[in-house]
Amino acid sequence: MESAASVANLAGGDEAKRGLLRTAWDFSFRVVLRYIKNSYKDDPFRTFLEACLIGFIIWYMAKRKYNIGTNEIVLTDKEIDELVDEWKPEPLVPPLTDFEREKLDRAVMIDGPNGTKVRLVSGSGTKPAVNFASYNFLGFIDSEEVGQHAIETLRKYGVGSCGPPGFYGTLDVHMKLEKQLAAFVGHSAAILYSQAFATTLSVIPCFSKRNDIIVADESVSFSVQQAISLARSKVYWYKHNDMADLERILGDVNKQLARRGKGGLPRKFIITEGMFQNTGDIAPLDELVALKHRYKFRIILDESFSFGVLGKRGAGLTDHFNVDPHEVDLLIGALCYALGASGGFCCADKDLIEHQRLSGAGYCFSASMPGILTVAASDAIQALEANPAGFLPALRENATLLRGLLERIPGLQVEGAADSPLIHIRLTPEALVRMRRSGGTWTKEDIDRVLGEMAEEAQKDGILLTPATYVDEHERILPNPSIRICVSCTHTRKEIEKCAHAIKSAVSRVTSKKR
Amino acid sequence: RAVHAHDSADASPTAPVKAVSSDPFQAPPATSASLMDQPDVAASADAGPKAAATALPHEVPGGLSNVPMFVEVTTYLSFLLLVMLAHVEDFFGKLFMPQKYKQLRVQNGFAPMVKDFESMWIRHVYFRLRDCFNRPITGVAGGRVTLVDRVSKDYNKTFQFTGRLRNVLNLASYNYLGFAQSEGPCADKVDEALREGGVFQGSPVAEAGRTLLLAETEDMVARFVGAEAALIVSMGYATNALNIPTLATKGCLIISDELNHNSLVTGARLSGAEIRVFRHNNTRDLEKQLRRSIAQGQPRTHRPWKRILVVVEGLYSMEGEFCKLPEIVELRRRYKFHLFVDEAHSVGALGKRGRGVCDHFGVDPREVDILMGTFTKSFGAAGGYIAGSRALIDHLRLHSHSAVYAEAMSVPVLAQVSSSMRMIMGEDRENAVLGQQKLDQLAINSRYFAQGLRDLGFMTLGDAGSPVVPLLLFNPAKISAFSRECLRRNIAVVVVAYPGVPVNSCRVRFCISASHTVEELDYALEQVSEIGDLLMLKFRKPTATKSIAGLATKHD
Repeated sequence: MESAASVANLAGGDEAKRGLLRTAWDFSFRVVLRYIKNSYKDDPFRTFLEACLIGFIIWYMAKRKYNIGTNEIVLTDKEIDELVDEWKPEPLVPPLTDFEREKLDRAVMIDGPNGTKVRLVSGSGTKPAVNFASYNFLGFIDSEEVGQHAIETLRKYGVGSCGPPGFYGTLDVHMKLEKQLAAFVGHSAAILYSQAFATTLSVIPCFSKRNDIIVADESVSFSVQQAISLARSKVYWYKHNDMADLERILGDVNKQLARRGKGGLPRKFIITEGMFQNTGDIAPLDELVALKHRYKFRIILDESFSFGVLGKRGAGLTDHFNVDPHEVDLLIGALCYALGASGGFCCADKDLIEHQRLSGAGYCFSASMPGILTVAASDAIQALEANPAGFLPALRENATLLRGLLERIPGLQVEGAADSPLIHIRLTPEALVRMRRSGGTWTKEDIDRVLGEMAEEAQKDGILLTPATYVDEHERILPNPSIRICVSCTHTRKEIEKCAHAIKSAVSRVTSKKR
Repeated sequence: RAVHAHDSADASPTAPVKAVSSDPFQAPPATSASLMDQPDVAASADAGPKAAATALPHEVPGGLSNVPMFVEVTTYLSFLLLVMLAHVEDFFGKLFMPQKYKQLRVQNGFAPMVKDFESMWIRHVYFRLRDCFNRPITGVAGGRVTLVDRVSKDYNKTFQFTGRLRNVLNLASYNYLGFAQSEGPCADKVDEALREGGVFQGSPVAEAGRTLLLAETEDMVARFVGAEAALIVSMGYATNALNIPTLATKGCLIISDELNHNSLVTGARLSGAEIRVFRHNNTRDLEKQLRRSIAQGQPRTHRPWKRILVVVEGLYSMEGEFCKLPEIVELRRRYKFHLFVDEAHSVGALGKRGRGVCDHFGVDPREVDILMGTFTKSFGAAGGYIAGSRALIDHLRLHSHSAVYAEAMSVPVLAQVSSSMRMIMGEDRENAVLGQQKLDQLAINSRYFAQGLRDLGFMTLGDAGSPVVPLLLFNPAKISAFSRECLRRNIAVVVVAYPGVPVNSCRVRFCISASHTVEELDYALEQVSEIGDLLMLKFRKPTATKSIAGLATKHD
């Protein structure tokens, strides 16, 4: 063949080429024919089988395509038009119920800064109140220095960054804050996201994919629930902070995987929160780390609420338990709760952080954090790092004081870990039963209404409280209705006592009302 | 200094700027009458202009359809080569340098965090171009931007800062109207707000996080886009990802444009609704999908859908194309779906009054059920909004994930939004004309630059008047080459490769701003032309150039 080709090339011209083609065709045809003849001679049945197979393949490919699983009905255009005319969609949103209307109308409106002391808009004027509703644990929202520095930053960086980090949206202050965060937490590297909710929503699906396994605490906050549902992994839920239950599930999962045998090891994660937004509890990280190594599950820890609050230095749960932060494979934190800035971050190994810079959806597809907020977070960390004793002991003292005072109020149930500044209070079941003399059951809406009344009563005494709000229909397990109290280190002893007193009188006023 | 509208018209002899400035926003005639051959569809579309029969072709005929064969083949071959090299490198690397591949193997019983195949692209392609992305800046990303200079001595594995700063022309940031400033009336307003209101609001809006400033700004946004009410969210991405789940639930159908932004896709996936995709900007395909979906109902049960939500973007940021809003609104009347328009890039940048894509096409904003947009771009701020009927917004205030769980928008950002918006609306008495000037300047600049590129023989995408002008590069090697050459000439540009855009159409994206002067744009055109010669990017023949230029004039 090769020599023939070179001859043809030498000769050149179309005819030679055509001749060559014909020779090649003849040759291959002869080879195939000889093969068929030989095989027929040796094994006629096999040839027959092969012919059948080829016939089947041709039939299969020529046949009309169908989709498995659809049961589409063939309709004429006229019928479709009729169906289109008949179809009546539901309205985009349902009309507000009376209670929802009431909630909207009664929502508090704040004039000016949302720090420890706020001015509430009431009627035509404003009314001062002490704020126990906002996540201002370390009081940075009130900080004069941070405010002053923000103005300087504005004069250098403007407001918006006008681009995602990948496309000239990475400011030098972003890189500085990332380094600062990694050093403060004690991890290898960090990445910034511009909203706390979006941080969780990006980090978890970035690593946990279809076929991977997630074992998560059933009381995790809504952002974690959403992130888990976005990840499309196999999910198991363990009872809130119940390590025995967790261990049982981890063992079961590993057993199942062993039974399945080959097929590649999936990534396995335990997901929990540092300080639970919905309960105020603290996750036992030391036990989690032990389980991590025993069962080979990685830990994803949402420290949104514990970062800046727990631990000697305020570096979060790892600091609190004195655990090496590297044991937490993905540590998610928020800058908008304790630090009074905005956004969130993730600490992890360098490779995993770099991976997020291209695969973390909230990082890639969104504008970066404004310079002002970045610098505010940076300032807050610097202040906390320089003088943790200026913030944390006061915070814990305040939290313990308020918790102690609240626990003494009859008819009130207080939830959360002992020195957690996030306190959930609710009326005890007995108090609720007593309130309804006529009998009958309490609906969620009834309890919400009572808690709303309590918050309003407290407002009359100059204390701003808020019932914990949820999107009821989207929560996996709807937490019991409660009022969430956030203690700040800037609250004075007097304010704490005033708060406890206001709650006490609110409880007595609400429970004595006939229903 | 930015040159005013009429100065620039005199300064540019090539582009038909004068004609543009006199009437830059005439809505192009809708092509709705020829949507489908259904008789009653045509009847319902009768209201539309009759000019539809002679509908203008798309600005770039066929978009990607007339790519030279040579370019297309070499593009695919380049990617093939890259992938093959990657596999060879991995094979030998795993054999001889197992330490380097430790991360990709099961270690100590833990599965690798990033699987071999998932990270293939990052390890072998992205790292070659890594210096073109995440370039750090300092200061304001305005018409010019200051880059923090960095070098890599180990093929982009690590970067070292040289300590130098470089001031370059910024054709990369979404600063369409030039409101990204640290001085001037907007910054002064932000300064004032910072002194009065502090930096941050520590609560979600639904839990004692609603402030007067927020409420006032929300009202202004509603007025600006022409809706009854609006809701502000602290992050643009989250505006979609956290609100769509409230708008569509199980039993609903979301029909989404195939090139929709990731945030819309995330929102749709979180909603639990059925998701279908129609071909980009193809209203025929959309109608086909609608007819099929309504007629068939939900899969398996054939129950009628509760609602159908059609999700489109006003201006597609990687394509520079507008959605075909008039046609989609026609379809909405016929098929009774709810329309969600993401105006992330178009609000503030399009339309005679800057009100976005509705303004551009002369469509009543009330024809769009959900108007979503962001403040990151034209307003020089951050975050986003959702606007619509009062009933919708009231419902969202209580049921949207962003209102209930996410942090509220910070004070300086709110102040920036309200001050820039007031200026665009001409309500700021001291700077009454500045906003309109910026709008006019942006319209002129973007047409001038896009036309300039086309005249030079480049292959661009996008509609006339889009402030985003994508220029096609195709071959992967040209991505980094183009970006580096631009940087050498002190121009910052954004290059986009797979997975941002399809594999066969890598591109560079220019974002034009009102703060660019004609001299700056001329400089950019000149330099880009040189680079184009160097990289053989001028795929168009001169004859084609002329007809396109003629078309653009007619279009205007």
